[in-house]
Formats: sequence, C-alpha cells, structure tokens
Amino acid sequence: MGGKVSCTLGEVKNRADLIIYWGGNPAECHPRHFTKYTLTQKGKFVPTGRKGRTMVLVDIRETPSAKAADIFLQVRPSKDFEVLTALRAIIKDQPVNEDALADTGLSMVELRDLAERMKKARFGVLFFGMGLSMTRGKHMNSAGLLALAAEMNAFTKFVAMPMRGHGNVTGGDVIMRWSTGYPFGVNLSRGYPRFNPGEFSTVDLLLRGDNDASLILGADPGATMPQPAIDHLANTPTIVLDPKVTHTSRIARVHITTAVTGISAPGTVYRMDEIPLPLRPPLRSPYPTDEEVVRKIYTAVAAKPLLPTPVMLHQPIG
Amino acid sequence: MPANSSLRITGGKVYDPANGINGVVRDVCIEDGRIVADTSGGRTIDATGMIVFPGGVDVHTHVAGAALNFARAMIPEDHRRNTPFARTAHRRGGIGGSTPTTFITGYLYAGMGWTTVNEAAVPILTAKHTHEELRDTPIVDKSCLVLMANNEIILDLLETDEIERATHVAAWQIWAAKAYGVKAVNPGGVAAWKWGKDAKDLNQPIEGYHKVTPAKIITSLAKIVDDLKLPHPLHLHCNNLGAPGNFTTTLETMKRLEGNRAHMAHLQYHAYGGDDWPTMRSESVTIADYFNAHPNLTTDAGAVLFGNTVTITADGPWQHLLYKLTGRKWGNLDVENETGCGIVPYTYKEKNLVNAVQWAVGLELLLLINDPWRVYLTTDHPNGAAFWRYPEIIHLLMNADFRKEQLKKLSPKALKRIVLPELTREYSLFEIAIITSAGPARALGLPQKGHLGVGADADVAIFNDDKDVARMFGYPRYVIKGGTVVLEEGEIRNVVEGRGIIAHPTYDQKIEEYLRPIFQQYYTMSFDNYPVEMERIEHPDVRTCN
Amino acid sequence: MSTTVFTLTRQLTVPLEAEVLTPDVIAPLDHDAIRALPVFLGKRQYRVDDLFTVEGAGSEDLEIRGEAGRVKWVGRGMTRGSIRVVGNIGMHAGAFMKGGSIEVSGNASDWIGAEMTGGLIHIHGDAGGQIGAAYRGSLSGMNGGAILVDGSAGLEVGMRMKRGIIAIKGPARDFVGLQMKGGTIFLLSGAEIRTGAWMVRGTIVSFKPVRLLPTFSYACAYNPSFLSIYIRHLRSLGLAIPDGAREGAYLRYTGDSAIPGKGEILVWQPGRDSRSVN
Repeated sequence: MGGKVSCTLGEVKNRADLIIYWGGNPAECHPRHFTKYTLTQKGKFVPTGRKGRTMVLVDIRETPSAKAADIFLQVRPSKDFEVLTALRAIIKDQPVNEDALADTGLSMVELRDLAERMKKARFGVLFFGMGLSMTRGKHMNSAGLLALAAEMNAFTKFVAMPMRGHGNVTGGDVIMRWSTGYPFGVNLSRGYPRFNPGEFSTVDLLLRGDNDASLILGADPGATMPQPAIDHLANTPTIVLDPKVTHTSRIARVHITTAVTGISAPGTVYRMDEIPLPLRPPLRSPYPTDEEVVRKIYTAVAAKPLLPTPVMLHQPIG
Repeated sequence: MPANSSLRITGGKVYDPANGINGVVRDVCIEDGRIVADTSGGRTIDATGMIVFPGGVDVHTHVAGAALNFARAMIPEDHRRNTPFARTAHRRGGIGGSTPTTFITGYLYAGMGWTTVNEAAVPILTAKHTHEELRDTPIVDKSCLVLMANNEIILDLLETDEIERATHVAAWQIWAAKAYGVKAVNPGGVAAWKWGKDAKDLNQPIEGYHKVTPAKIITSLAKIVDDLKLPHPLHLHCNNLGAPGNFTTTLETMKRLEGNRAHMAHLQYHAYGGDDWPTMRSESVTIADYFNAHPNLTTDAGAVLFGNTVTITADGPWQHLLYKLTGRKWGNLDVENETGCGIVPYTYKEKNLVNAVQWAVGLELLLLINDPWRVYLTTDHPNGAAFWRYPEIIHLLMNADFRKEQLKKLSPKALKRIVLPELTREYSLFEIAIITSAGPARALGLPQKGHLGVGADADVAIFNDDKDVARMFGYPRYVIKGGTVVLEEGEIRNVVEGRGIIAHPTYDQKIEEYLRPIFQQYYTMSFDNYPVEMERIEHPDVRTCN
Repeated sequence: MSTTVFTLTRQLTVPLEAEVLTPDVIAPLDHDAIRALPVFLGKRQYRVDDLFTVEGAGSEDLEIRGEAGRVKWVGRGMTRGSIRVVGNIGMHAGAFMKGGSIEVSGNASDWIGAEMTGGLIHIHGDAGGQIGAAYRGSLSGMNGGAILVDGSAGLEVGMRMKRGIIAIKGPARDFVGLQMKGGTIFLLSGAEIRTGAWMVRGTIVSFKPVRLLPTFSYACAYNPSFLSIYIRHLRSLGLAIPDGAREGAYLRYTGDSAIPGKGEILVWQPGRDSRSVN
C-alpha cells in the first residue's frame, strides 16, 4: 500500500531514541528484545543507553511490558485503526473530530503529545505485534502503522518493524518470496504461483473447506483456529510433522515425529528483521529432521506420473 | 547430457572479439565443459546460417538478496501482470516481470543466451541470504559485489586515516561475504540517510564525521581494491544519482579516480545537465568525452526503456525523494553499520520529459563512447528496465532507422534536450558481442568467460541471423552452458547448476582481534555467525588475489 | 439467439476455476468445442463436460445451473453478452469485466466485479467482500460499470475503486470504500465500521447512519441534485430504493483527512429539511 520503511535491529540499538511498541508484549513474547536491541544497550549514537531513550507502549491493557514503558497509552480494543488514522492526520495538521476520537479511549491531548514526540525524535521506531495484526482490521491495522512510519520520514528518521511469531515464520516468508514471488497464501495448482489472501490463506481455505488434504509442518492449527477449520482438518486426510504430538496430531490421519529445529536439526533461521542466522544444533535426535521427511515424501510423489502442465488460457489481465 | 560430452557446433558464423574473430564461419568444439581445438564422437549442432556468440555476461544486475526480495513483496500486481511460468517436467514454475523469482531468473537469462551474472550489491550482514538465492538461480554462473562505501567500520578507520588497517578489514569483509569485488553506492550518502540526510557534495564531511568526505571514501576504496589486487576494479555508483545537473559530480568523481582503475556503474543515471526537473537535459557528450580520454575507467550503460518496472538501490535518500515525487509505494531497509536499500515501483513514460531524457542518455552514452571494450550493456536491472528486455536495446543500437522511429514518440521539448537525433552510429554484431560478453568478462577479470578460444568455459549462444534484431537476441536457437545444451528451439531442456565465483584477497588474520570487539558492541549477532560459510556457495570457484 | 446452458453435474469438494464460462469464449464455438474446453478442479484439468452438461451451441447468452457456489472466475474479462446464474456463484465472477451483464439469483462470493471497467452485475442474494475492488497491490479497483447487490455484503466493498457505481441493499461490513479514488457507493442498510477509510475522492451515500472515523468532518446538510439522477438510474436497473430518498437532507461529511482526501460521505436524514443550516 503506502510501503514499508524499516531497518535491521542493530540500527535500533545504535540510533533509536524513541521506541513505540503497539499491540505487542515484548516482555513476555520477545523476552530479550529490550535488553538486546531496544532499551538497555548502549548504542553507538545513544551512549547513555536507557536514559537516552523514551519507550511508549500502546495496548488494550497493562501487560508486564508496561513496567518498562515511560508512557503507556491504553487504547480500547479494536480501536487501533482509528487511532493510527487520526495520528496520520495529526502529523499533517489536518482536522480530527475529537468526539469520534474519544471513542478510542485516547484523547486529542495524548495523541498530539505523541505526535510531537515522534517529530522531535532523532530516530523513531514503531514495533507492532499481533495485538494489531490479528485484531479487527488485521492487515489494515498493520498498513496504518506502516503508512504512519513512512509519512513520518517527512519530519525525521522513522522506521517500523513487525514483531514476528515463533518459529521461522520470517524465514518461510523470505523463501516463499524468492521462489514464488509471494510471502504466503500461494496457490500452485495451476502450475505457477498465485497469491490472494482471503482466498488462498490457510485459515480461509480451512474454514471454507476448499482443500481436501493438509500437510501441517511446524504449526498447530488444531489449537489456534476456529472450530469449523479444525473440523475440516479432522474430516479430511491430515498429516502432521512435529516434534511433539500436538492438538492437530490428535485429529490427523498421520503424525510423524521429527527432530526439534535448532536443538537437533540444523538450518538457517531468519530473524524478525530478516537477518539470516545459522543454527548449530547441540544435540542429536533419534528422529529425522523435517527436511529429511519432506524430501522422502517428495521423492515418493515425484515417482508418480506427472500431471500434465495446465493449459494457460490467456494472458493475465491487470 | 553429461558434462564430459563432446559437442561440435558447425557451420555457424562465429563472433569472438577477444580472439579477433569477426563473423567467420568456423567450428566451435567442446569437451568436458570447455572449448577445445577439436573433438569427435559426440553431438553435432548444424549452425549453418546462424550466428555464434560467447555467452552473455551481465556486469551489473540485482537478482538476489534482501533488497530484491523486499521488492518482490511490494509488487504483487507486477507479478500478476506478467506472463507466468508454469512448471514442466524439467523446470520449476514461477514468476517473471520486473523481479523474477530465482528459478525463473536463471531460465530467463539462459533463455537469452546469457550465462554469467554479477549481483551488484550485497550487504555482508545478509550475504547468506544472497547466496541462498543465488543457489536457487539455475544455469548461470554468479559473482557478487559487497557494499562498502557506507560501512561504518571502514568509515571510522578513514576518519582516523588508518588506511592500512582499513585494507585488512575490507579484505576480511570481502571474504566474509564470499564476494568477488567491492561496490560503492552513494559514498557517505547512505550512512547519512540513517539520520535522514544525504551526501551531495564530494568534499563535504558526511553526517557524523569531520574528515570523511565522499571523495575520501572513493579514493580510499579505489586504492584498497587495487592494493588487494582484486580482479574487478572498484565498482562505483556515484553521489547524486538521478539529479538534474549531476554530471558535475560525475566528472569530479572521475577526476578523483585518475591513477586508479574504476568501473562507473549505470552511467546513464549520472549524466544529466540542467538545474531542476523542468530544465533537465542530457550531458552525455561531456561525460563521454572525458570517459573516452581516460582508459583507466570502464562503465555500464544503465539504460532506461519505457514501461513499468521497480527501482531498487542502496541509495536510500534518492528513493525517499522518488517516493515524495511520485507518491508510489516506498520500501526502505537500513542495514546496521553497513548500508541500506530503497525501493519504489516506477513507470518510465515517453511523454514524461525527464524519462525521455533518461531513455536518450543511456543510448547516447553507448553510441558516444568509442571503445566498446569499456562500455557494457546493462539496464541496472530492474531499475532502468527488466534484464530480459536487453534485446530491445541491442535493436536500438544496431538500427539507426529504428531509433529514429522511436524518437518520434518523444515530445518536441524533449528532443531539444538530447543529442540522440544527431547520432547515426550503428553497432555491428562484433561490437554487440563485445558489450554483452567479451568486454564485461574482461572488466570482471574472468579469463575463461566472454570468448570462444581454447580453454574458455563452453558458454555459447547460437542465434538465427534475423533482420529483426530484438527477436534474434530474444530467442536464441541454442544455448550451451558449461558444455551442456540447456536451451534448444525455445525450450529449456536441461537445467544445470552454475558456479559461485569468489575472490579470496589476502589479509592478516589478526584483524579479527580488531573486529570482534567492535562487532560485539555495534552489531546484534554473534561475530562467529557473521561470515558466510563456504558450504552455502554452490560449486565455489575461488580466485586468490596476489 | 438461444442460450448456452451449463448444468453442474457434480458435487464440488474443492473450487472449480472456470474462466472459460464467458460469452467471449463461448459465443464463437460449436457444441463439441465447448464441451472440450478446459476447466480446473483443484490441481487437475478437466473438460467442461466432465463437470457440466452443455445444452446448445455457442451463444452470447449463458446460463449456469446447479451448486455453483464453488465455481470461480465466471465471466472473467467479458466484453459482451449475458450470464445468468440460477443459484449461487463463486469468487471473482465478472472480474475485469468490460461489458455485458451477469445476473445471479442466489449468493455470490468475494471479489465480484473486481477491477471491472464496464457492464452490469446484479446479485439477488448476498455477496462477499472486495466487491469491485483492486486485487492486492493494484493501484485501482473498478473503473466503470455497475454492481448491485440485493442482500448483504462483506468487507472492503469498492476498495480503491476509481469510477462506477456499487449499490448494496443489505448491510455491509467494515471498510466500505477503503482508499476510494472515485465513483459512488450506495449503502441502503448502512455498514459496520471504518466506512470511507483513507478515501481520496468519490462519494458514499448511506441511507442509514454509519459510524465514521475521527478523520471525517461534518460539512453541511443538503440535497445534492446528482443524487436524484443516480436514484432514478438505480431504480431502473432494478434496485428498490426507499421512497422519499429523493427528498430530505443528506448530512455531508468530508475526509479522509489522514491522506488528506477529498471524499464525501452523505448520510440520509429522512424528514429533515435540507434548508436548515447546522
């Protein structure tokens, strides 16, 4: 949409003097974030460490992260989009209806103060978590925050970064992009990659029952997804690769135990800022790695007769 | 087809400029992946009536790594708009367009008869990512250049005039990134962008420094590259890219480089006159004149073609400006201590005065620079146009009438700002073979590339002799890579793996004692995880430098 | 001219992609050629007659019958003719449409009329989200034509639309007119939240009150003359608009100031005198 303005975490450590966490709880979900990257380290250009930084936390309630915050802004649930949109107007000195704003739980005074601090910062960062990306509005909430960060560059240096979930979700995103062009929700059934969130993204496919088999690797939809999606997994052939027997395993047709990535299985993980890091497993496992299992499945599938390449009917439109 | 196969190409008209062969009908013999004097017992390709070229060498392109992959995320509409590639029994499926997916990148290059690509910009911190993408880029051989002109460890050493130490650090960094050479982008400007600033004056200290100026970075790096005896000279993207009037910066930069080798990247973007956008004009004549008189320099065109594309560059401040000017999507990623990148999708339009000048300047430089051995065909892919449009540029260079036809599409105002209408030169096939293969191979310091003499890598492209030049170069009849016929009658038949060409400069191991504490203090990962492991390189081909 | 009738003969467990079911493709063909056209069920390619019975030779008027709620891309890029769906239809119906008409007696799914530039789509049941919208990353959504929905609609109706009319009789969900650049959206039963978010230009007319973002400001109360024309036009297309909609005042709100945009949202105040100044 507007774009994405970001940086690697070392830039935050060395330069950032204003850190805003929005819809995330790093104290519990990214426990080394403050101490390694954002608050306590002495940065190259922030030699006083914590004293040289202001941390703002925006969330629907006071989580343990609030203890580390200089300013806590309590926004009402599912009002983040309204606040971000208002901020985009405020930084441009455009009109905002204060009555409508009051509905968000935050006042004009608080937001004007925040906007001032943002403009006065030498280097500001907006980190956003699932409190933003998974609540009503979803990708539009994230888009609002990213647009705000991009527009702040008219005044000062500003970046934004998502607080990614566990596992190698960033790595999955990176590799999907270089091999298919798209980060997730990729359909290969016509022989080439197609992307349409809402149509091909996992939860939507499962809710509609649009697929007739599933292979689950490194995730536990049986624990996190809405019931109709779980029912669909239970009613169709489902295969799970996981070090543990998960909720999904219990409703699956096949469960294959695999070695734990990073502990017994090697590879490369991509950090939330997309820096690749090698994993050096310290332990051995009696179980095969995910990679070994997937390669075996691939070999068996490749031995079957290949479906003909689908006919491409006409030039893509648009 | 196994690599030790014998292959004879017979009856074709061979263009091998490095060996002085200009359209002579002769056989080309291949064994074990190399050109040999004679062979027997294997396949014969009857190339009667066809043209035989050494495989193309792209000296400056952006095909792999974090910046390019970021761009892929930003343009799903471009992916949709371009004809996709369906998987076949031999070939992966994927996406073409401005930022092809990795497998398709390999097929598209090979599909044009290009067999070696030089990824022009790699940050050390994400070099592992670049090499993983290069591994997934089939067929072509690869090299890459590590970004250095905004590396703060280097800049800090230049501030205290510790050139000797900087040389060891640079060598260590090249090896850590498993790179082939050194890239300098907007020296000082990308570092200044980390505070939202730029570096537009060669002689002004950059933000945060007192003694380090862009000029100092440029001359120091050029010296370091020469001292380290790297095969390819300093590869330089000058300050003030894209700005009207920037030709003065380019001239001054070239003057500073007297006495050193240097490669001026995508010169088209650095040859503008005028004071502002409305008065922008071409200054290719001034730039070409200086360039012609200074044989220490090589360059690549960075030509623009009209149409949609996406601009990707380490020049962060320039991209922020482009975003403000156009309102298009903007992506930016600053890499700690090293560099950054900016991405803006863009459309070059005939009726846009600035774009018209840009289109003309790329062609003017190619026509005004006399020695084809020093200027190479590129579009700074994808910035000027996608690489698979190179055949269109070849057509424009070889056919002055066709150029004239295209000039009619420009506005009268634009025609007054350029010199292209006056240029009647037409490139010969011999010269095309130089600017697409022999020249870049020489500039990169790759003696087995870019020619068809005995001992060369068997990278060969065979074309129809077609009056429609764009069609000719867009659809080779056969492409051979390392002795294997990879393309035949328009179809990728065999997918081979390419090699990763790496330089290993000499440095004192003790430099790690200097680097380690700085790294731990200013970076956010363990020093031991920083260098790229050799295992990540596909079929590494290491060139020691001494 | 007779109609070509396609009757789905199978229960679909996965979506069927049937972009061949469009007048431009069907009209010039004979019966056998139509039956042999490719459709895609999951990852497998089939012939049309593997999944449909086909009646008639090629014609510009198509009819689709059966449980077609999973049949996608019907009418893709059509420039002429008509498609009548007896029952439900799947996603992307009428995407990139340039002319002609599509009528669906049942429900439609997401992305109907996405990026269309002309023609008419009328859904008698409910529709999904992203009606007349831009696909991900595209700069613009629909650029002409009309989409009418008698039932409810989902998210992001008219997202990034540039021109054309969308009218929804039932309630719509969040983000109606998201990033709108032009055109007009009629909401006869209002919408949920974030209507007009980030709009640049264009008009949203709501006959029920809508919750607005803080970046929309009240401008005035009036009865714009262009509305009568639109309302008459929509009635002629078959959409029932409440009586008296041509009278009364509309409260005009402008926004979205976050951009800043020059869009407008008109909210009908039945019985209110348009001459009163607020």
